[in-house]
Amino acid sequence: MDISNIERIIAIAGGIIVAIVSAIALKNDWKTPGLDNQIFKLMLALLFIGAVIALLAGAHVLGNFPAAKGA
Amino acid sequence: MAVATLPHGAAAAHGDHGEVDQLYVETRALRLQGFLLFLVSDCVLFSSFIFAYLYMRNSGQGWPPAGINHLDVAFAAVNSVVLFGSGATMHYALENWKHNNFGKYAFFMIATIILGAMFLAGQAYEYTNLYFKEHVSWAGSGIFGAGFFTLTGMHGFHVTVGVIYLTVLFLQSVHGVYTKDKYFGLTAGTLYWHFVDVIWVALFSIFYLI
Repeated sequence: MDISNIERIIAIAGGIIVAIVSAIALKNDWKTPGLDNQIFKLMLALLFIGAVIALLAGAHVLGNFPAAKGA
Repeated sequence: MAVATLPHGAAAAHGDHGEVDQLYVETRALRLQGFLLFLVSDCVLFSSFIFAYLYMRNSGQGWPPAGINHLDVAFAAVNSVVLFGSGATMHYALENWKHNNFGKYAFFMIATIILGAMFLAGQAYEYTNLYFKEHVSWAGSGIFGAGFFTLTGMHGFHVTVGVIYLTVLFLQSVHGVYTKDKYFGLTAGTLYWHFVDVIWVALFSIFYLI
């Protein structure tokens, strides 16, 4: 297994973990009042999106990939 | 606003908790608004550079320019997960502080600082690779090099400041600067760190995914 595949596996596993953790944190904080908590909720939602994007990039669903040699 | 800078320890020494508590409550909203304004101004700074980069990129002939290989998406995805993970640990650090659980707070805070430093090490590795192997540089690779190094460098600078900021906040909390009820510094630190994470979502998308 080459280094790129290991990186992809880490990105997928890490992306899943971070997405789940941020979704749980968002759910737990959903009803908290106050301006700072509203910002935290927005940031957690964006963090969730970021983790999903990184996960999809690791899975080669998203991304700008090098052209195959000889193509 | 001079009152807001009163050290907690000094106030406690004079036995005027009630007055300081009232002042803290009254000035907290102002400090929060001030900090949010700072983050908005930083957001404007990043937005200006991002839109300038996208405008110049779309006015060119194909992307990336001839002679420049695509960036290593898999490595960048790992580095992104490290940074996003630090956002999650920072969130739990603040939550544990609010719930008076110093042990878990310290664990998550140190994890955040380490993950932030790991992201910076990853960025340094990527820069080294780009410069020495791909021969991409800030000044010698046109819009691509200038845009990439300016934006990711600016973000890296923010992460560096954030790592130092969080380290200072952690040391302050160890020395009793913050209490269960008075922890605006930690709230501001968490907001800043989340902001740095969210900016990376945008940068990762524009440089590696589109």
